[in-house]
Amino acid sequence: MTDSRSDLKRGERGMSPEKTGGKVKSSGNRIGKKIRQKVNLFSVRAGLDIPFLFLILVLVSIGLVMLFSSSYAYAYHYYADSFYFIKRQALFAIAGIILMVAISYFDYHHFHKFTIPVLVLAWILLGVVMALPGTKGVHRWIDLGVLSVQPSEIAKFALILWFAHFISVNFKRMNTFKIGILPHLFVVVITVGLVVIEPHLSASVILLLISTIMLFVGGVKKKWFIIAFIVVAIAAVLYLTFKEGYANDRIAGWLDPFNPEYIKDETWQTSQSLLSIGSGGLFGLGFGQSRQKYLYLPEPQNDFIFAIVCEELGLIGALLIIILFILLIWRGITLSLRAKDKFGMLLGVGLTTQVGLQVILNIMVVTNTIPNTGISLPFFSYGGTSLIILLAQMGIVLSISRTSAVERS
Amino acid sequence: MAKGTTVKMWRRTLIVLIVMIAVGFGLILVSLVRLQLVDGAELQKAAVDQQLRDTVIPAQRGTIYDRNMKLLAQSATVWKVVLAPAYIHKEESWPSGYTDEEQLRRTVSAGLAEILDMDEEEIYNRTDGKSYYDVLKTKVEADVKDQVLNFVNEKGLGNIIELQEDYKRYYPFGSFASTILGFTGTDGQGLAGLEAYYDEYLSGTSGRLVTAKNALGTDMPFQYQQKVDAQNGYNLVLTIDEVVQHYLEKNLEEGVINNKVENRAAGIVMNVNTGEIIAMAVKGDYDPNNPFVITDEAERARIAALPEEEQKDATSTALQAQWRNKAVSDTYYPGSVFKMVTLAMAFEENLVTEDTPFTCAGSVLVADKTIKCWRPGGHGAQTVAEGLCNSCNPLFIHLGELLGTDRFFDYFEAFGFTQKTGIDLPGEASNKGLYHERESMTLLNLAVESFGQNFSITPMQMITAASAVANGGYIVQPHVVSQVIDNDNNIIKSADASVKRQVISKETSERLCKVLNMNATTGTAKNGYVAGYRVAGKTGTSEKVGKDGKVGSDNTYIASYCGFAPADDPQYAMLIFFDEPKGESYYGGAVAGPVFSKTMEEILPYLSIEPKYTEDETGSVGISTPNVIGKTTAQAQTELTSSNLKILVKGSGDVVIAQTPDPGSSIPNGGTVVVYTDEPSMGQTVAVPDFSNHSLSDVNYLAAQAGLNIKVTGAATKSTAAISRTQDYSVGEQVKPGTVITVNFVELDTVE
Repeated sequence: MTDSRSDLKRGERGMSPEKTGGKVKSSGNRIGKKIRQKVNLFSVRAGLDIPFLFLILVLVSIGLVMLFSSSYAYAYHYYADSFYFIKRQALFAIAGIILMVAISYFDYHHFHKFTIPVLVLAWILLGVVMALPGTKGVHRWIDLGVLSVQPSEIAKFALILWFAHFISVNFKRMNTFKIGILPHLFVVVITVGLVVIEPHLSASVILLLISTIMLFVGGVKKKWFIIAFIVVAIAAVLYLTFKEGYANDRIAGWLDPFNPEYIKDETWQTSQSLLSIGSGGLFGLGFGQSRQKYLYLPEPQNDFIFAIVCEELGLIGALLIIILFILLIWRGITLSLRAKDKFGMLLGVGLTTQVGLQVILNIMVVTNTIPNTGISLPFFSYGGTSLIILLAQMGIVLSISRTSAVERS
Repeated sequence: MAKGTTVKMWRRTLIVLIVMIAVGFGLILVSLVRLQLVDGAELQKAAVDQQLRDTVIPAQRGTIYDRNMKLLAQSATVWKVVLAPAYIHKEESWPSGYTDEEQLRRTVSAGLAEILDMDEEEIYNRTDGKSYYDVLKTKVEADVKDQVLNFVNEKGLGNIIELQEDYKRYYPFGSFASTILGFTGTDGQGLAGLEAYYDEYLSGTSGRLVTAKNALGTDMPFQYQQKVDAQNGYNLVLTIDEVVQHYLEKNLEEGVINNKVENRAAGIVMNVNTGEIIAMAVKGDYDPNNPFVITDEAERARIAALPEEEQKDATSTALQAQWRNKAVSDTYYPGSVFKMVTLAMAFEENLVTEDTPFTCAGSVLVADKTIKCWRPGGHGAQTVAEGLCNSCNPLFIHLGELLGTDRFFDYFEAFGFTQKTGIDLPGEASNKGLYHERESMTLLNLAVESFGQNFSITPMQMITAASAVANGGYIVQPHVVSQVIDNDNNIIKSADASVKRQVISKETSERLCKVLNMNATTGTAKNGYVAGYRVAGKTGTSEKVGKDGKVGSDNTYIASYCGFAPADDPQYAMLIFFDEPKGESYYGGAVAGPVFSKTMEEILPYLSIEPKYTEDETGSVGISTPNVIGKTTAQAQTELTSSNLKILVKGSGDVVIAQTPDPGSSIPNGGTVVVYTDEPSMGQTVAVPDFSNHSLSDVNYLAAQAGLNIKVTGAATKSTAAISRTQDYSVGEQVKPGTVITVNFVELDTVE
């Protein structure tokens, strides 16, 4: 065991030229050579990653501005206060940013110890939410008075943590069924199963995708993914064939959102979203100029906020925001790959991938590329607790970045 | 144990990253480009359609005035009640106080049903619709509109029920001048008559009100509104004189009834010098306020009795018929009326004079075909002028021969019989193919056309040619609208009153006037005679083509009379046209002549034509009744006698307290003035006897018996054969003794 601090610094300086040289293989080996060290709470080993922090702050700022623009007509009509949503969201954003920076000082290795408690907590909360009276047969929120929490948000983090911990500890045996598949199957089936019965299809999909990515990166043999893919495909076909009604209606509405037969149902939101996006054209109607937010697009501040972004800022504005997200993901993955250890790497990849998946699935829903399921847009959609959880998770990535062997500019 | 990232992890993470960016964001990019660029315009249009309420602000349609700015047609504001049931289905857009959709729908349907006098269930069903614009009722008047408004305000239904301004066309005099005016459709578009012909001037340009509304249709503080004001339509000032039109319509209607006319009648009064149409009437016509109601009750009953599947077609046919302007849309054989044109040609070409002798043998052989004169045995020896007065066919066949086909056709063309007149009314018929072209005209054709048979023209063409005969030979442009003006009386368009060409010389025209005046005074046209007004005229009776395509096979006729006055300075021409009279007579002189005469007699004084009475006319001419009230009976007698009037005293007083006819009103020369000297005697009345079908002397006798005065009109003064036909007071009506009864005389024996 050498002094971790000097080791890191050496590694850091050593890595820089290699990164510019782009030699992936050699850097991997170098990092792999690092050995376990004792960790201290809030031990600051290096500065956090400024580009990543900058991207987050930019996205949070644009998100707040667009939230205000998209929500004020809706807020005025339903709450007689145009600032209803922006006031709350801004407070949560400030709180979230403070929390994020604080967590970035927190040594992420402490999360090893939280793996099982967090997973159990997520399961308990998922059980509690089922016990609570839901709305219209759907159990997703636990109302704590001031704020409300979605246990599925906790479950996402719990799964990422579970994979990061378990894989980093048992990395060498990940290619075996006993270690590589069985425990994960157990954890994933319980977690996703609890989310499915809420029911919360989009969260289930994200959980499954995260699990797949984590196991894939964690080194599970490819054949298992092929088997899993076949099983899922068969299950999906059977589901669609034999389950009449709801699901098929959704598919029909997805394929033909403007059919007046569906116009009063969920597809109303989709069709209004498409009208908003189409209205934007290349350059948009101008900031604040959306007309669809005047109660045509239901709840424009939530999952469909990106439609208003497209309407006001046009294709150009939408692409700029998408590029910001891509840069964020790219940077997050880069930071993770150069993390000091596998735990940090896996944790960072999981958390960054989660953001990427949410962005992609959200915009796909908004553009009707996939059927409408409730996925919020990170940093943009209204929702205090999910913004705080998201920023806290970004804080973990920043914490990892402190150990990461990348150049900080 | 290695702690950091392995190569395999690197590789797999990069795969995840690349797949995520390439597939995930790639698909998103494709979707966004498709939605915003490829389908962008279409989606934007659909979005705008739902966001903007585009309300049409209707333009007020122009007013139609007669030549003296009397109002004939006007648009007034009415309202449209529009339902937006889409808002009923959105709970957010319910007015406060409603808890369920059913309650709201019932409130709306019950309230509106009562106010609009509609079926409640129907409205209730329509509240189920998804539309934002369902027009419940149009043409709602102000009082009903106010009720709707109160209801809407009271129940807070502003977003669900909307009132929109609109206009409704009103024709204050009902069917009056309907043929000229035409009518408008439900959207205010002109469908017939001037309303159709001048639609582009009358309709104006509607404005638009574009409002951005939120999805609930309620007001929000962030709103967009753009208004383009409506441009009201221009007004028409007609050449029609409401008074003349009234007389023409009244007399035409009477003629239709008296002569049992089966296929409607038309009449035109035209200023011969300017082409202004002073009056134009068709009977039966329709009420432009309700143009889709069949006016003829018998026809309505006939259609109602038909099998259901035939009713629709029959109704449509009947409506088309009542809307049809016979004066410009019908073609007919002008018959003997045309003889004035043939004579004008012969005079102009110096082929004959008034005094050229001609002997009618009763028939003529033309190209191996014998053509008979209407009078069996013929007219014998006569002059050309007398020949016209006799309406002698062989004379005109002879004139045709003298002219030859070329010259005849030259004039035929010059008089305007080969072209539409171009009058500013819709549906003017073209007679192309209904006459013989220069190249194909045989001598037989020429012979028959010379007296007006075997070719068809419109009444409008005939009166235009007759005007040329009268006015010194000029073909004028007939027109109905003198000016198109805006609301500030600026002239937008003026009628083209230019003369098109001269076809005969002024001298020929003057000679024709004299001959035609003679015809109307002593000839076959004397039923058109009006004392003091030097009427010139020509009768016409033409056989119609029967259902089998042969002329005369159905024994159906058109009786017409065309003339003008005064003959020494022609001002107004009139054409009276009865299609299929089935009364005692079907001859132009007997059927159309009296209508012509009566109308001329009524309109000429109104049109400020000074009467000039000849020596023998003064007997039947009225004079102004002297005022003898307040005088003693003796004084009254002296005064009345000096005016060549008789006196009849009623009562036992000495002083006259009342008289009939009233002072200043017209009384026939030699008539009787009844004077009253006490109150009780003033209450006396007498019943008007039936004066019809008597000779002049019999009528005078009956009048004397009843103590009434008689004013004689029509052919009586010129023909002892004339018999009385119509009177202005109905039989049995109680009138005061001394009242002047006008009795019209017709020479029924006159043919052609």
